[in-house]
Amino acid sequence: MKKLLQRWFASPPQLTPQQRTRLDAWRALPAGDTNSTFDHTRYVVVDVETTGLNLLTDTLISIGAVAVVNGRIVLEDSFSVVLQQQESSGKENILVHGITSTAQREGEDPVGALLAFLEYLGKSGLVAFHVAFDETMIRRAMRQYLGLSFKHAWLDLAYVMPALNRTLMGSHRVLDDWIGRFNIRIEARHNALADALATAQLFQIAIAQAHKKNINDFEGLYDLEKTHHWLRDVS
Amino acid sequence: MSAIHPSEISFITRHAPFDHMELPHVLWMLQRMRLGYYPEGEVIVSPEQGPVDRFLVIKQGMVHGEQSVAHASEADTWLELAEGECFPLGALLANRRVASVYRAGNDVFCYELSAADFRELIGLSAAFRDFCTRRIANLLEHSKQVIQAQYSNSSVEQQSLASPLSSIIRRTPITCPPDMTVRQVLKTMHEQQVGSMIAVDASGRPLGILTLPDVLERIALPQIDLDQPVINVMSTILETMTPQALAHEAALTMAKHGFRHVLVVENEILVGLVSEKDLFALQRVGLRQIGSTIRNADTIEVLQQGAMDIRNMARNMMAQGVAAEQLTQFISTFNDLLTVRVVELEFMASGLVGTPLLNGVCWMALGSEGRFEQTLNTDQDNAIIFDTPQGMTADQVREKLLPIARRINEKLAMCGFPLCRGEIMASNPQWCLSLEEWKQAFSGWIRGGTPESLLYATIFFDFRALYGAQHLAEDLRLWLARVASDNSRFLYMMAENALRNRPPLGVIRDFVLNDSDRIDLKLNGITPFVDAARIFSLATGVTHTNTIQRLRLSAAKMNLPTSEIEAWIDALLFIQVLRLRHHDESSAKGLSEDALDNLIDPASLNELDRRILKEAFRQARKAQAKLRLDYQL
Repeated sequence: MKKLLQRWFASPPQLTPQQRTRLDAWRALPAGDTNSTFDHTRYVVVDVETTGLNLLTDTLISIGAVAVVNGRIVLEDSFSVVLQQQESSGKENILVHGITSTAQREGEDPVGALLAFLEYLGKSGLVAFHVAFDETMIRRAMRQYLGLSFKHAWLDLAYVMPALNRTLMGSHRVLDDWIGRFNIRIEARHNALADALATAQLFQIAIAQAHKKNINDFEGLYDLEKTHHWLRDVS
Repeated sequence: MSAIHPSEISFITRHAPFDHMELPHVLWMLQRMRLGYYPEGEVIVSPEQGPVDRFLVIKQGMVHGEQSVAHASEADTWLELAEGECFPLGALLANRRVASVYRAGNDVFCYELSAADFRELIGLSAAFRDFCTRRIANLLEHSKQVIQAQYSNSSVEQQSLASPLSSIIRRTPITCPPDMTVRQVLKTMHEQQVGSMIAVDASGRPLGILTLPDVLERIALPQIDLDQPVINVMSTILETMTPQALAHEAALTMAKHGFRHVLVVENEILVGLVSEKDLFALQRVGLRQIGSTIRNADTIEVLQQGAMDIRNMARNMMAQGVAAEQLTQFISTFNDLLTVRVVELEFMASGLVGTPLLNGVCWMALGSEGRFEQTLNTDQDNAIIFDTPQGMTADQVREKLLPIARRINEKLAMCGFPLCRGEIMASNPQWCLSLEEWKQAFSGWIRGGTPESLLYATIFFDFRALYGAQHLAEDLRLWLARVASDNSRFLYMMAENALRNRPPLGVIRDFVLNDSDRIDLKLNGITPFVDAARIFSLATGVTHTNTIQRLRLSAAKMNLPTSEIEAWIDALLFIQVLRLRHHDESSAKGLSEDALDNLIDPASLNELDRRILKEAFRQARKAQAKLRLDYQL
């Protein structure tokens, strides 16, 4: 609890002038256009690994991201970083994501790492599976280390996929269900970059499926997602 | 902090040609690649898209190449590409449109490299360039050299049975005019110390040959007049071959017909003489000797020795790198000789020789023996077809023949051809039938379409006459060709059945393995070709039983490009070589004949063979894709 309080009431982070310039440059970028069709836009599919699944107490360990540009995953346009941890996560957690204590301590300085992520992201729309988790983790880290209130357009495949595949709604809940369904092979599950790649492939499938329903942009999928939220809540 | 996940690198480097490329080149490529998704049925590349703009590697899923009607002669038709495979190489290299439509067979993800980057990579990486421009034929050639090198320790001779006769001819043959006297000829032979003399006409065309054994038999013993023209005592039935013919063909001819010499002739003019002795230097076991031993054998012991010699000879030839086609041809020829002698001896022992009953009996080979594709561990598949003599019923004939057939089956088993576990043997009353009964049985299978009748069709429709009243088998063959080609429902079911057996290729790893982590070369590699060839030949009325002949002959009638067919044949032969080698290695380890199997562990193959085997299986899938196309399966 003490840790949690410290984090909430900590003084705003001190950035170097150089870091400040980088952050301002990112802020100044024109907002992304969520009405462009999928074959003319860049999206960033993201996955994070954390010290645990508790949204309040656990912290961000690594970010993996893959860009989908004009409907295709650009292998080089991908991003992976391990954030330096004050204290390494527990042993059981290490077994999940495979980032050892040494690797955690030798990670990037969180400020630099998050700035690099922002620069990689630009104002492209974000896509994830179970956005609530990834978004909370990233947003909190942004506030803690950059003093940035990170508000960004997110698309949640955990809602989009069942909305596009109504018959699979009940039986397919977690990411593994969907990637299994479409035979997407993932060679290193719970590695942020590998998970992001698998999620990006799922996103490509979603784009193709949406296309058949005449939905061709982020906005359209987002509406679908909201409808599905509502559907799920009332049912 | 841009990153390519190591799993991408490890995936791509598991597949040719990336497994042979330098890592920096692989990374260079990956950095420039995009991953595209194509839902089932979506067109990935098509002629309508214009010159090909990207190089694709399948990360996941199956891609079908469909023949486009406008380019029916194009070689890259009926493709089926699996994980790790690249396309469309030919069109990219030529900077043209593709000829086929490439369509996603299921959910497909492809790595894609722009055409410009593809060309740059070709300049960058020699391994990649090599792969893109090299054909399977080169690979096969390379593999053959490797095999020869592996066996070189056990084979002393430099020359092999695969060399052309032109390289074996030692000196110009001694010739004489046909009207030279016998006396003069004998004198010349003595002076020149040669074992044979050939009479030629004024332009050098051979007319006859006289050999030393002939001197005893035709001149000395009958005490003929030595002043008559030599042509009168010469053998004038001459076996001739061109200088391009291979040593093994000459050896095979000598063994089959019992000749000691083969004349080498170019444009009808005699250019050389190859004797058994010349060929003997190329091999340890004299082929003709084995042949004549078997032909003249009177006891089972001699035949057993002959069977052993056949196996040794096959091993020896494998060591010399004789191609699979010739090798299996050798094995079949000699096994035929052996079987024929066994049948002949038992027929003689039966006391029925010369009776109308035995004059109307034909011994048939079925299955792989029927197709001339026997290996060393083939069990016997045979049957009898007979003509019912007047005044007898088919059952009465059977009653007489079955005990003889039983003895033949047993003798063959003693010679190393295991009894058929499925009882597909002439001693089984079901398979000792009159011509009419065979037609009834065949009709039943063609109409039936049950799994059992389809299975019987695959074994029995490859029948071939071995001994006796051959015309009965020929009758049956012509009848079958007519009936089967008219029955599209039956052919459809045969095709459907054949497609159940899929060549094992890359769904999870490079190969899909069976439970024991091994590949069944016969079932998964040979059978798809054999099945496809049988259906093609039945559909087009080709009466040949050999798979290679069937493919070549039916391809012509089906307007299949020769290059396509030759690629299938190369693939089939390569798998056959691997299989023979596997048998040879297993018997060298002391496994008994009936313990030989067709299962190999791909990990035990060298890199090159593994790559060719993969390509060979891909060809098998192409043959199947053709079936699928023809029968809309």
